Amino acid sequence: MSARHPLPAAQHPIVARFLTDGVAVNEATGRFGSPLHVVFPQVMAENAAALTAVLRRHGVPHDVFYAHKVNASTALLAEAYAAGLGADVASSAELDRALAAGFAPDRIEATGPKSPAFIERIAALGVTANADDLWELDRLAAAAPVGSSVPVLLRLSGFASSVVPQSRFGIDLADADAALEIVRRAPGLDLRGVAFHLDTADPAARVDALTESMAVVAAAHRAGLRPSVIDIGGGLRQRFVDDPEPFQRYAQALAVAGPEDLVWPGHDLVAPTAHKYGNHRPATDVLEGFLTAEIERRPVAEVLRECMLTLWIEPGKALVDHGGLTLATVLYRKNAAGRDLAVLDLTRNQVTPADQEVLLDPVLVDGRGDPPDDGVFLAGRLCLESDLISRRKVFLDSELASGDVLAFVNTAAYQMDLSASAAAGHPPPPKVAAVLDGDRFIVTDDASDDRHRS
Amino acid sequence: MRYDSVLDMIGDTPLLRLDPAVHGVPDAEIFLKLESANPFGSVKDRVAWGLLRDHIDGIVENGQVVVEASSGNTAKALQIIASMHGVGFRAFTNRVRVREVREMLSLLGTDVTEMPGLSECPDPTAPNDVFGVIGDLVESEPGRYHHTSQYTNEDNLRAHYEQTGREIHRDAGPVDLLVGGLGTTGSTRGAATYLRERNPETAVVGVVAAEGDFIPGIRSAAEMWEVGLFEPGFYDAIAAVDSADAISASLELATRHGVLAGPTTGAAYAAARERLLSGPGGPVTAVVIACDRMEPYLSYYRHRRPDLFGAGRPAVSGAAPSVTPGELEAWTAAGEHVVVVDVRTALAFQAGHIPGAINLRDDLLEQVLEAGMPFSEASRVVFVCPTGDRSERFAARAAAAGRAAYSLEGGVLGWRDSGRPLAGV
Repeated sequence: MSARHPLPAAQHPIVARFLTDGVAVNEATGRFGSPLHVVFPQVMAENAAALTAVLRRHGVPHDVFYAHKVNASTALLAEAYAAGLGADVASSAELDRALAAGFAPDRIEATGPKSPAFIERIAALGVTANADDLWELDRLAAAAPVGSSVPVLLRLSGFASSVVPQSRFGIDLADADAALEIVRRAPGLDLRGVAFHLDTADPAARVDALTESMAVVAAAHRAGLRPSVIDIGGGLRQRFVDDPEPFQRYAQALAVAGPEDLVWPGHDLVAPTAHKYGNHRPATDVLEGFLTAEIERRPVAEVLRECMLTLWIEPGKALVDHGGLTLATVLYRKNAAGRDLAVLDLTRNQVTPADQEVLLDPVLVDGRGDPPDDGVFLAGRLCLESDLISRRKVFLDSELASGDVLAFVNTAAYQMDLSASAAAGHPPPPKVAAVLDGDRFIVTDDASDDRHRS
Repeated sequence: MRYDSVLDMIGDTPLLRLDPAVHGVPDAEIFLKLESANPFGSVKDRVAWGLLRDHIDGIVENGQVVVEASSGNTAKALQIIASMHGVGFRAFTNRVRVREVREMLSLLGTDVTEMPGLSECPDPTAPNDVFGVIGDLVESEPGRYHHTSQYTNEDNLRAHYEQTGREIHRDAGPVDLLVGGLGTTGSTRGAATYLRERNPETAVVGVVAAEGDFIPGIRSAAEMWEVGLFEPGFYDAIAAVDSADAISASLELATRHGVLAGPTTGAAYAAARERLLSGPGGPVTAVVIACDRMEPYLSYYRHRRPDLFGAGRPAVSGAAPSVTPGELEAWTAAGEHVVVVDVRTALAFQAGHIPGAINLRDDLLEQVLEAGMPFSEASRVVFVCPTGDRSERFAARAAAAGRAAYSLEGGVLGWRDSGRPLAGV
């Protein structure tokens, strides 16, 4: 038996209140069943306000686009609209949802690889195209009606700085002149600016990418174009824990534990201390770190003002951080392969993004009794040996029993939709939105998921 | 004193007693162990030589390349020692770095591999871990590399046990309190182990950077967990200090005690004084490890304390003549000689400026104006900033010196927004 290594997740006050409000959880699972995804639009509104407050405090002209791909929820999308954000869409289906939520085309930006049909719609509507490749630009140029001015951002990559992670996305800097030339010659395109996206919290990487991107801004001016936007994408951090120490102790224990002590046989698990699930600093710190980092001995915020560029960001994770949880029910306990298991009515990929182990403990709703000495593995319901909700042993506050409800907190960012399958006839869990109204939660169907796909 | 090798000059550093009337802690003797007196400038000289001394002959014989995870003083010392012996050195890092330190490594010819930080994507690919990359490199060509491994190598501790700790005890006698910054933890653990053998009551305080803050050379409490040598139970306290306090304390050491020490030493001194002042009082002997000098961190000080570098000085008062974009265009069209001075950064200037303007950023222009007025009385001078506020200050100053000087109304932003052309470089 190993020492206990609980990994308690940070909980937003609204979420904590929902979980301790027995009526709300019971009503939600009673009406909508289990498993169930719950989103909290009010938390998203708070996150949006916090990020824009940082931008405002540093006096940076800015615009924030909600990266809708992080969660298919229409309740969250509607909240982004209400908060005055723009929408960042990655497909025709997401574009439909954004339009339905009320976003005007000039408040919508399309990112990521695009199909010819998607490009036609972007051009026809005048949605801002964040171009991933010259191929897209050529098709946009052909699709944009003469006399229109379809706004275009060039997503750049191939930066020389070694601290900027390499990426398969974007237009290589070596092709930037060719890209500018396509936009310049196209009668229906308008160069709005340049963009990059880095999936790191490291301010040095963004500073280097920004500096290198400015060469393209200068080249655009030389070509007679009028770029006014620098788009640094998203990639801000989520704050998963209040206190990083349990995570660090766990990471240390993992490094020295017997191979099958803390982790299910056949699965490797490493947890560097800088791991995303050990993070206790908010996304606003990452943004602040970038704005106060120095270029030419001057804070980035001031350099941006001097360059007369409007800063666009496209957060997804940071906007829905703590904005959702997932409820599942324990079907039964068993002992298998010499280990304690709890089998849940859930599938690993319905609560886990890209098969990445979630290093946070679920919360046992209405748990009673003393913490058990040993941990338990959580198993899914598919016919795959690998369908474990947790491949690591989790240490809960009370013993689990059949019928208990577990809440996986902070699952709104990619965990609900990125990889969810409907394998074996188990559809992805339905989604509901919970809004705290006075002293009670109003839970409504979030007609959210891809059932709406056209 | 004569030496035959610079390596013989490593260690045996001075122990400086701080004047109690100046440090102000009652009944306390506070000593600084001036590791900055090592020949390459830091406490890491001992570590570098301690890690290589017993291996260097073999490394030379086998033509190996030394590798280490470091972006600072260890890399500098290892590079120098490697160069002196004619062997190669490679440094790997993904940590925040200071400009002067980076430039020093460039000057010495260090092959530095800077790596991206950890990925934030929900993608299960391996993180960019420095130690993993070094491990892969060493394994890729067995025998080619010698990894000194300062974060896990007990030789790091031994160097400080056998030298630093022994020297402190020799010069200060029994020590009640030892305070030092935590990077690899080698200096505090090594020295304190020796001191505790002589006085088991020696308290040890490890100093880390406040969470989310940055002090060069030391880690934050959270980052300590990835240091192989770190033993939290060894320390009586782990003190978190923020960069503002570290800077203030190092300035105090410089101006009141005459010790030019870097921000990490400032952090350790601040933590030591804090602990002594909040302690029970009574006679106490405390030693603070001063790990390196102040000068390599000027950019760090400038970034965090621009006020010390002349920023935010009051503007020259007086009327500032202004000019509209239309008037400026009319002068140029009429063939008048007009010097347009854009005071923004070079980056902003490159990205787009008024055609024909020259670029002289505001802080540099300030310096030029201190030396004299560089513009001719025979031509008009128009100062341009982002929105027309900073340029007023320069226009007023030049006008007061008899120049036909103006501030462009609305700045370059107004120029652009009125649809006028911008040039890129």
